[in-house]
Amino acid sequence: MTTHTVTLGNRGGAIYEVNDRRPLLEQLRNHGVDLPYGCEYGGCITCAAKLTAGTVDQRRQVALNNRQIANGYVILCVARATSDITLEIGVESHDKLYRNPFLDPLKPHELKADIATPKEG
Amino acid sequence: MDGACCGPGYGSPQEAIKAPREKLLYTIAIYTGTGIQKPDYLATVDVDPASPTYSQVIHRLEMPGIGDELHHMGWNACSSCHDDSSMSRKYLILPGVRSNNLHIVDTATDPRAPRLHKVIDGAEIKAKADLSGPHTVHCLGSEIIISFLGNAKGEAPGGYLHLDKEFNIVGRWENSMGDIKFGYDFWYQPRHNVMVSSEWAAPNTFMPGFDLEEVGHLKYGRELHFWDFEKREPIESFYLGEDGLLPLEVKFHHDPDSTHGFCGAALSTNVIHWWKDSDDTWKWEKIIDVENEMHPEWPIPLPGVMSAILISMDDKYLYLNNWLHGDMRQYDITDPHNPKLTGQVFMGGLLGKAPVVNGVEVAGGPQMFQLSLDGRRLYVTTSLFSTWDNQFYPEIREKGGVMVMIDCDPENGGMKINEDFIVDFGKEPNGPSRCHESRYPGGDCTSDIWL
Ligand code: FES
Repeated sequence: MTTHTVTLGNRGGAIYEVNDRRPLLEQLRNHGVDLPYGCEYGGCITCAAKLTAGTVDQRRQVALNNRQIANGYVILCVARATSDITLEIGVESHDKLYRNPFLDPLKPHELKADIATPKEG
Repeated sequence: MDGACCGPGYGSPQEAIKAPREKLLYTIAIYTGTGIQKPDYLATVDVDPASPTYSQVIHRLEMPGIGDELHHMGWNACSSCHDDSSMSRKYLILPGVRSNNLHIVDTATDPRAPRLHKVIDGAEIKAKADLSGPHTVHCLGSEIIISFLGNAKGEAPGGYLHLDKEFNIVGRWENSMGDIKFGYDFWYQPRHNVMVSSEWAAPNTFMPGFDLEEVGHLKYGRELHFWDFEKREPIESFYLGEDGLLPLEVKFHHDPDSTHGFCGAALSTNVIHWWKDSDDTWKWEKIIDVENEMHPEWPIPLPGVMSAILISMDDKYLYLNNWLHGDMRQYDITDPHNPKLTGQVFMGGLLGKAPVVNGVEVAGGPQMFQLSLDGRRLYVTTSLFSTWDNQFYPEIREKGGVMVMIDCDPENGGMKINEDFIVDFGKEPNGPSRCHESRYPGGDCTSDIWL
């Protein structure tokens, strides 16, 4: 089992140690971090946070579209750290998570992975 | 408030209309998705004009955990048990759409201060019935069924959870989902052995928010399904096409002999009407088509988004909302084939027609509503679903939801915002919350069914 550090950029740079086996939501909550969540299986987006440094494995998430992923969002209830990471947590990090779908449509490559088409050119 | 002789509710819709005026109203209020790390709760609102706390939240029952997203709710018993004196309308069932938990709340011991009776754990429902994303609750005689929009992984079409009257999980109610692609709302009309169900989307699709492009990729529903109620299986489906994008709320006439029913197609912003014709087959037609409106600053026309409909207890009026336009409408449906617009008021919405109501800035638009049994008072709330609110009305985070009361004229038609009533959920003790569905202790226009 490998351990990594999680730095919370918008919690005064607080640092926690996590392993690479269990989801970040569970481990951070065990450390006493107050985090939003709902479904706890990667489908509802409530637990989304913004990854500003490092990498995670979040293959099990089904909530994010490709634009949200490109903007750095990760689904903490299923994501595992694969390096030392820095996160912004809570709804303060959701500035780019929600968009008005009538004013700001998604391009075909920005849809969810199962229906997205590769970016042209 | 229940009838004198026997079980819960009333002997007929006519009897229900004559019931005493509602004094309390229950509405759910959410913190899920708002940034406030507190549980969602059931608010008791005082709606007795003679009371010193009229138009205020007088009690808050918090759920045990955070992140449920309370949404719709339903009674353990309704007028379908009126002849069963062993039953009473005592428990309100509050599903958490995101957590999958079902909260059973006792509203009878102290109607002003409901208490938690039992929680059916979301994980148990997944394990025993492979269901998630609970929505509509109806009692069936003494038992209860709840539509769930997904399987344990949040994939469509889900199915129906069957509970016994002690709230034990019996299992899946339906014998087959047939070719149904999605679930959402349902209503049944026992004298015709029929249930009708509608389609939203898989939990994994609608919970994270609304990607309009996914409608074109067939991730959202556009069909209505007719069930053989006793056999518990779908027997006929209507493909509504572009006229029926996101067919959400389903209501039959309250008259148990009637075959007429209605569905609001949210994105198309149409009302679909169905009935059994003289040749004994089910027919459907579009009877109301709310035109898109131009937003002052937007390049594209804006649909109304009709997320709810309601039929008055006398079956004379249909009420609908346009969540993005900001208006509530009343139609006379005495002839269900030819509805007539008889009332309209604005409250909030994106068109800027009524940004302030009774001194409160309205974030959101008219969304859920509950009509008094006598058809004179319509209580309207403004939040749809946390993630969708965050997309269309981001200011609701700071402002919270609002409950407005509209005076309705059941004799001549017409609607008017009541100037003495407003509940501002922006001022809740733990910070701005968002109110959604409402229920009365004595039963309401969106719960009771007659056998
Ligand atoms: S809690 Fe629902 S996606 Fe993480």
